[in-house]
Amino acid sequence: MDGLYLGVALFLLLNILLGMVRVLRGPSPADRMLAAQLFGTTGVAILLLLAEALAAPALRDVALVFALLGGLTVVAFVRRAWSPPTQVNKE
Amino acid sequence: MNISAGGFDILLAAVLPLLAWYVLSTRDLFKAVALFIAYGLLFSLIWVRLAAPDVALAEAAIGAGLTGALLLDTLGRIGSRDTSGAASAMEPEGGPPDARES
Amino acid sequence: MGIIEWVTTIFLLAGAFFFFAGTLGLLRFPDVYNRLHALTKADNVGLGLITIGLMLQVDNWVLALKLLLIWFLVLLTSATAAHLIANAALRGGLPLWRRP
Repeated sequence: MDGLYLGVALFLLLNILLGMVRVLRGPSPADRMLAAQLFGTTGVAILLLLAEALAAPALRDVALVFALLGGLTVVAFVRRAWSPPTQVNKE
Repeated sequence: MNISAGGFDILLAAVLPLLAWYVLSTRDLFKAVALFIAYGLLFSLIWVRLAAPDVALAEAAIGAGLTGALLLDTLGRIGSRDTSGAASAMEPEGGPPDARES
Repeated sequence: MGIIEWVTTIFLLAGAFFFFAGTLGLLRFPDVYNRLHALTKADNVGLGLITIGLMLQVDNWVLALKLLLIWFLVLLTSATAAHLIANAALRGGLPLWRRP
């Protein structure tokens, strides 16, 4: 079973690298941020698989932190960094 | 150590320097921040593979999460003065190409 | 391989497929709203299937509960994030994509 876990983890890592194309190409900041959030979720899945394959329960805590911070960065992005043209002076 | 684990490590080790180079060389500030967040996540996976889950925890929390949020906040404050930064390029696909990309 | 292993394998492969579909949608769809749609599929369904597959393998119900709670946290943050981004994009006047 460990081979299956590692194989799926490798496949998910390839997915992250594929999604990197969207971060590089943009075009809007929201697109890059969406890709970053997908990386966070995929990272959670990879960590859960690795925790099972390597028999390292501590990795589940790392996955928990990944899940928390994916939300945090998106909230920071929407509230702070993203100012669409029509409401630049609202804040 | 089977072939999937080896492929995982080689892929991570090959991509991370490339990603670091992209973070440092891009002109678009927002793109650099988004790439930095992705870089932090992948770096955290590297610490996991090096059997250091505590360092991975710190890297995910501080490196990717908090620094990312702080950089985004900073970008929101300086963004209005920077035409290549966060406030530009709102068009969907097919908008103006980023001419300052080197 | 017993029946539990086969079920786990199926769940894991289905989850990986949903992640792949989400990534592909992120690359191929034309604007932010469409990409949001693809992304939430990968987040919720893909991670959910992988979590269920792994829950069948752990021998301790506390660990199974922990996996379930991790999935719930991701569900919560991903739903919040999708709503925030879609709301900000709509209010900021990001145009909806029309079939050309």
